[in-house]
Amino acid sequence: MVVRARRGEAAAREELAQQIRLPAFRLALQLLGNREDAMDVAQDSMLRFFSNLDRFDTRRPILPWLFSIVHNRARDLQRRRRRRPGDYGSGQLEATEIRLTASGVDPEAALSRRQLQRQVWKGLAMLSDDHRRVLVLRDYQDLSYNEIAEVLELPRGTVMSRLHRARRELGRHLLGECGPAGAENPSAGGES
Amino acid sequence: MSRLCSRPFDEEWITGYLDGELTQGEAQRVRVHLEDCDRCRGLLDELTRVREATMTTSFPTPADDQWDERPRGWASRLSRNLGWIVLGLALFAMLVVAGWEVLTAPFGRVEQLVAVAIGVALLSLLLSVLIDRLRTRATDRYRRVKK
Repeated sequence: MVVRARRGEAAAREELAQQIRLPAFRLALQLLGNREDAMDVAQDSMLRFFSNLDRFDTRRPILPWLFSIVHNRARDLQRRRRRRPGDYGSGQLEATEIRLTASGVDPEAALSRRQLQRQVWKGLAMLSDDHRRVLVLRDYQDLSYNEIAEVLELPRGTVMSRLHRARRELGRHLLGECGPAGAENPSAGGES
Repeated sequence: MSRLCSRPFDEEWITGYLDGELTQGEAQRVRVHLEDCDRCRGLLDELTRVREATMTTSFPTPADDQWDERPRGWASRLSRNLGWIVLGLALFAMLVVAGWEVLTAPFGRVEQLVAVAIGVALLSLLLSVLIDRLRTRATDRYRRVKK
């Protein structure tokens, strides 16, 4: 399809656009925490994706390349806005329509899951941009460490290290918010 | 008594182990370590729970028409913003001209004062609403809730 899209076939380009726009939007939303900004970044990324399609190596998977573009556009936007730590999704928590993946109909379970998701979303907001990027690419976009390293232009070891710290930090937040009082792990952050 | 790490061990490997990203040798080393270390087993459990919690979240899907309605680039965004600015300035100019007309029209002093009072009152109310909106904008959690 990419080859046909590169040749300029309108149907192939349309089909490709349909396939990639949702992953682009979701990654932008996960990186920025703001629906409006995510839509702008996704649109810009789509334009850049198609205008650079000739340079794409068709033997490689599309998504890591698309995610590189989205990540760069999101980072540019953050720099332009001169965002400060904690700006992630500011004021947007309630507005973002986090929907449940649960298939159950039990309202209590659904409520509990919704609360958990809200805590996860808040925890994501507390992470540094570097840690959030790695976590999002791994746990939401299901990229391998090598693909994340490629997208973020980092050594593979740094990816694992940041992911570890991000999960620990998120875990401390979830324990503090959802778990029993004082359940925080006192040895957090250190090596055994 | 719980058993802790008896030798130096890089706990970041536990994350790699959880994600299936280690080599066979590395994974084997982690497995052996986990058998002896209660703390690292607890850490693996914690990281597993965090990963599961993260994965419960799904995200909204924009409707097809939203994609088409969005501005396509900086040019369209610029022209849209410019349009709003020009419109705002034009409305402001209209208000100023209307106020001037009232003041210079051949009305009596009382009528002019009444017109000015009404204008000032309307302007104050609008200003008050505007200030309140700006103040609450940063913290209003429900401003995007559809009514």
